[in-house]
This record gives sequence, C-alpha cells and structure tokens, in this order.
Amino acid sequence: MSFQAVVFYVLSLILIVAAFRVVTAKNPVHAALYLVLAFFTASGHWLLLQAEFLAIALVLVYVGAVMVLFLFVVMMLDINIEKLREGFWQNFPLAGTVALVMVAEMLLILSSPEANLAGFQAGPAVAADASNVRELGRQLYTVYLLPFEAAAVVLLVAMVAAIGITMRKRADSKYINPAEQVRVRRNDRVRVVQVQAVKPEVDTASDTNEQQA
Amino acid sequence: MNWADLNLMPALPEMFLLGALSVILILDLFISDAKRGITYALSLLTLLVCAVTQVSTFEPFATVTLSGMFVDDPLSDIVKVAMYGVTALVLVYTRQYVKDRGLFKGEYFTLTLFALLGMNLMVSASNFVSLYMGLELLSLSLYSLIALQRESGRAIEAAMKYFVLGALASGLLLYGVSMVYGATGSLELAKVAQAIASGSANQTLLVFGLVFIVAGLAFKLGAVPFHMWVPDVYQGSSTAMTLMIGAAPKLAAFVFVIRILVQGLGEMVADWQGMLVILAVLSMAIGNLTAIAQTNLKRMLAYSTISHMGFLLLGLIAGNAEGYSAALFYVIVYVLTSLAGFGILLGLSRAGFECETLDDLKGLNGRNSWYALLMLLALFSMAGIPPLAGFYAKFAVIQAIVNVNLLWLAIVAVLMSLIGAFYYLRAVKVMYFDDVQDHSPITMSGDMKLVLSLNAVALLVLGAMPERLIAMCVEAMKQSLVVL
Amino acid sequence: MLSLTHFLVLAGILFAISVLGIFLNRKNLIILLMAIELMLLAVNYNFIAFSHYLSDTAGQIFVFFILTVAAAESAIGLAILVVLFRKLDSINVEDLGSLKG
Repeated sequence: MSFQAVVFYVLSLILIVAAFRVVTAKNPVHAALYLVLAFFTASGHWLLLQAEFLAIALVLVYVGAVMVLFLFVVMMLDINIEKLREGFWQNFPLAGTVALVMVAEMLLILSSPEANLAGFQAGPAVAADASNVRELGRQLYTVYLLPFEAAAVVLLVAMVAAIGITMRKRADSKYINPAEQVRVRRNDRVRVVQVQAVKPEVDTASDTNEQQA
Repeated sequence: MNWADLNLMPALPEMFLLGALSVILILDLFISDAKRGITYALSLLTLLVCAVTQVSTFEPFATVTLSGMFVDDPLSDIVKVAMYGVTALVLVYTRQYVKDRGLFKGEYFTLTLFALLGMNLMVSASNFVSLYMGLELLSLSLYSLIALQRESGRAIEAAMKYFVLGALASGLLLYGVSMVYGATGSLELAKVAQAIASGSANQTLLVFGLVFIVAGLAFKLGAVPFHMWVPDVYQGSSTAMTLMIGAAPKLAAFVFVIRILVQGLGEMVADWQGMLVILAVLSMAIGNLTAIAQTNLKRMLAYSTISHMGFLLLGLIAGNAEGYSAALFYVIVYVLTSLAGFGILLGLSRAGFECETLDDLKGLNGRNSWYALLMLLALFSMAGIPPLAGFYAKFAVIQAIVNVNLLWLAIVAVLMSLIGAFYYLRAVKVMYFDDVQDHSPITMSGDMKLVLSLNAVALLVLGAMPERLIAMCVEAMKQSLVVL
Repeated sequence: MLSLTHFLVLAGILFAISVLGIFLNRKNLIILLMAIELMLLAVNYNFIAFSHYLSDTAGQIFVFFILTVAAAESAIGLAILVVLFRKLDSINVEDLGSLKG
C-alpha cells in the first residue's frame, strides 16, 4: 500500500465517523465541531487530489467563517435539546436502512464494470513549481468572468438579506437618545390652553324629575 | 480569452439591470419612508429600460458570448421580455398590499430586482456554472423576500421550509451535474451534448447523474412527488410574495429545464422521457384531486400550480420542437393567468385583512361585479375553458402529446383537467351565487384597477387570437434549439 | 493505488450520511442545515475527483463557486433561523405546525 493510500484510508475513516457524528450528536455545538473536523479532513483529501487552493479555501472560508457563524448561532439560541431528540432513535433503524441501501446501490453502480471508472487515469504528474492557484485565478478572471460577477452579486444579496431580515428596532427597548432629550423645547412638552372661566349651570331639569319621582 | 473578442452587447440588459440595481440600493438609503415611492418608480423605470434594451438588441439567432457562459437567443429574449413585464405587474399589484403591511421598504425592491437578475442569468446560461449561479441568485433572493415579513410567524415558517427544501434540491441537482461532468468531461452545455452525441461519454455515469438532475429539477418546479413545499410556501407567505414566487420564476424554471434537459442532455431524451411521464401524471392527478379538498384559496391555487406543472411537463415529454414551443406558450399563459388571479386576491385584501379563503369570495359579484368578472376570467382560463387563453395552452400541449402517439397520456390529461374544472367552478359559484358576508368596500388604486383589467382582458384576447404568440414561440424555439 | 472509484464511493457514503441526517433530524433545523452542508461537501468531492482524473480544472472552479454560494446560503439560512427563533422560541420543526392540509 502506498503512502497516499494509507493517508486516504485514515482520513476517510475520520471523515466518515465525523460526518456520522454530525447527524447523530446530541448537542448542536458538538455537531458543529464534528462538522469542522469533517471539513478539515476533507481538505486533506483534496490535497491528495492536488486541489491545493480549494483545500486551503475550505479551511479558511468554511472552518474560519461559516462554521464560526454556525457556532455563534447555536450558542446564541437557547435550544431545548431534549425535546428535539424525542423519538430520534425510533426513526434510526428505518433511516439507517435507507442510507445503507443508498450506499450499497451507489457502490454497485460505481464499481460495476459498465461504469468503467478504471478508464479514468490521473493525468501526468504536474511540475513541482506548477501553481494551482495561478491556474485557477487565470481561469476565474477570464473564462469564468460571468459566474465570478454573479458570485459577487450572490454575496451582496446575502449581505442585504441577512441585514434586512434580522435588523430591527426592539419594541421593548428602554434606550433613550440623550441628544433628543437635550434638544427638547418647552413647546414640545407643555401645551397652554386658554380656558374660559364659567359658572356651572345648575341642572334644573333633573331636579324636577327627581321631585316627581 | 481574448479581451478584444469580448462581446458584451448580448448581455447589455443584464449589465444595465445590475448597474441600476446598485444605484437603487444606495439611493434608497437616503430616502425616507414617506418618499419610498421614488424607489418604486425607479424600479419600474429600470424594468422599462431593460425591456426596451432587450427588444432593441433583438437578433433572430443565437449568440454565445463571455467564453461560452452566456447565450442570447430568441428563446431567452422572449422569456426575458415576459419576465420584465411580469415583474412590473407584480410590483404594481403588490404596492398597496406591502404598504399596508409595512414591507414597502428598499429591500423589497432590491431583492425583487436581484431575483430578476438571477432569472435572467438562468435563462441565458449555456454552462452549468452560470446556470447554477443564476438559480442560486434567484432562490436566495426569494427565501429572503418571504422572510422579510418577520412579524408573521407563518411567513418565516414558509421561508424556512422553502429554504431547506430548496437547498436540498440544489444538492441533488449538483450531485447529478457532477456525474454528468465526470461522464462528459465538460460543464459547457454544447460540449456536453457533443460528447453524448459522439458516444464518448460514460453512459452509466450519465444515467446515474440524470436521475439526480431530474429529481432536483422536479423539486424546483414543484412536481409530485417533490411538491411538499409548494402548498406550505404558497399559503404561508404573504400574498405578495406568493404572487412573486408563482409568476416570473416559473418562466425562468421552464427555460432552465429546457437548457439542461434539451440542450445539454437532449440525446438522452429516451431516458428522461420516462421519468417525466411519471412526474407529469402524478402531478396532474395529485394536484387536481388535492385541490378539491382545500378551503384556503392560496393553498388551492398552490395545488393548481402543481397540476399546471404537470401539464407543462407534457410539452417536454413530446420531445420535439412542437412540444417545447407548446410548453413555452403554456407557461407564458399560465403566468399571466395566475397574475390575474392573485392580483384580485391582493386587491381584495386590505390592512389587517387577508383575502385567502373561499368564504372571502362569497358574493363577490354583489360587492363589485367587475372584479368578479375579472376573477371569473382568470379561473376559467386556469380551468381551460374556451375561448380563454388557458384552453389553447392545454390544447397545444395535448396535441403535441397526441402527435407523438402517447394517446393514453393525452386522455389522462383531459380527464384530469375535467376534474380540475370542478374546483375552479366551485370558486365561481361562491362568487356569483352565495350571499355576501363581508360588506366592507373594495378599494383598489386606479392604476392597479386598470392594469388588472388589461391583464384579465389579455387572457380573453389571447384566447381569441392565440396565433401570433404561438407563432412567436414556435419561431423562438426553432431558432434557439438549432444551434446547440 | 488510489483510483477515482475510491473518491466517488467516499462521496457516495458522505451523501448517504447527509440524507440520513436529513431523515433523522427532521425536527432540528440547525442540524438540518449542517446535513445540507455535508451534502454539498459530497458534491464537491465528486467534482474535485473528476477534475483530477480528467486533468481539467473546470470541476475545481465549479467547487469554488459552490463554496461561495454555500457560504451565502448559510448566512441567509441562519438569519431566517434567528428570526424564527425570536418568533417561536424554538427551532423544532414540529412547532412549525400552522401550515397543514
């Protein structure tokens, strides 16, 4: 077994265990941390496949930004885990069987002689000084110009949307703006009303009614 | 890529849209809530300019540009112009409604335009990468549009459901695309088609990927058995957003399917035809039968949408230019019809009151006979009753199916549309023969009244003279499919 | 010797685990979001493996875009989750019961 194969199998084992724990972990924080482990391991695999830029981007973007966002949200929300876990293991046999059948089917399809995956041979080894980043960058800014612009727009949408959805003025906030308080004029608070002094009329009608009763 | 060869003309409308969108986004920060009408007017103006640019740069052949990422063909032109029009109508119809619910904000307009940009990209993409980016731009904007109404628990719930199932659908679609990429070695639709035609593609991987792609597309279209999200999202979202989801995105999704299944995987028509037949029959049956049991109008219209998607798939199943152009005609007519239907619901709603159950329509004729008539036109068109446009749309797809000797499927379709007619007619009966329950006056702004009337009358006109639009659809399909 | 099959099968297993996760955690929205991330990871494996064995960079570039979109998607997904939590004090899918029929 070559060195690469050993690395592959070790990483695969870690990846599968981590992925499995993501979907079965009791605590969402643990799930998020297992997901971090899964991404880390995946980036190791991608290095084996000579996709250096993506391997590093996965760690930086995913582990560094997205997973931290997940952790923030998980910790910010006060989640009642026990209630969410009710009946979890009752569904497990069925769901597990479905997943196993899926794996078995995919394995059969992918390893069948008709699929002829052995026909795919890795290309010639790249030169030691070849830069994966340079090659991807060159293509991104030329051939993939349109999707690149679209990606920028997608990020803009995410920004506008995330702010638009979550930003609010709290109705229960007791915050007071001191500047506004200082700026208050007398006319804003006090209204002087001219009232005519009048003598109250004696209600003669009701008096006579009472007398009759 | 040679920069001198870079031909940006075909993408001019998109570039203008993006530029105008950015201007509106920034300008809106300086506009007070009282003057939000300026943003509204600017958005409409943007749509108008886009449409004019689109029409004036029209060419009757396909131009592929931006290194094979973008294609400008008659099919995309006709659909894009329709989408500008539809989006403008949506903005006009929803203005009062969103004002009453405190949603008349800058984000509402910018996200709508972002969604439109995404749809434009979907319609004009000729590479899986740009197709995917367009799709996600549209989906992300729609999720956020629904969630903007954050005071409403139902709307957020709908947004969450839409989000989770939409992301799942994208995952399935991408898994399929990855297999197609492995089998053909390319992400460009034209090269994918070439590789399949030349027989150099790995057949097992292709079929394996195709299953996932069809499942992903069915999710996005809302075809049975991948339809669970449609009723919940239609009902939970505010009616304005329901209108938004139900209108222009259907046009874009249709072209998206054409691009992938016909232009990319057209050689595999025999493989996907069978899957689409199952989807179509199930959609027509479950959509129409479940709609009968609904008392909520929005939910009923959601199931009606599912059944309409089934009819739309019929055109694709035919697998020839006639079927595709019939489907194009169908989707345009369907969108016009649902605009009219939901437009009335929007008009009948007012601050603090949602018109969304069947009871809310009771005695509409007694309250305002003109709106009742408009609603009648929309419902009859959905049911496919001559001489309305919906009839010719159904007729065209069924004819396309009969011409490829799928008589049994045509019979199923006719039967299902008869069942469907029942619940549309029930709504008509409620409007005309039940007693008025709600006596509050119907207030609709003048411009909305005018546009809504034109919209509904257009259904009648299209029904009386469908030939022009049908001819346009046929011509567009012929010119667009010939190149790739 | 490593071959394409190794990576595709690994991606298949990941995909199945994510489907399992979606089945099991129908109640727990945040784990649902994580399962979707796993599914995208499986897709990315496929693209990178094919890209390597076809000696073609298009697959890697697609992964770049998928990563970008997934980041944007999780930002919006979490934003929706936060407003949902504010509204319902729960991320339990079963509490999302107002839409039925």
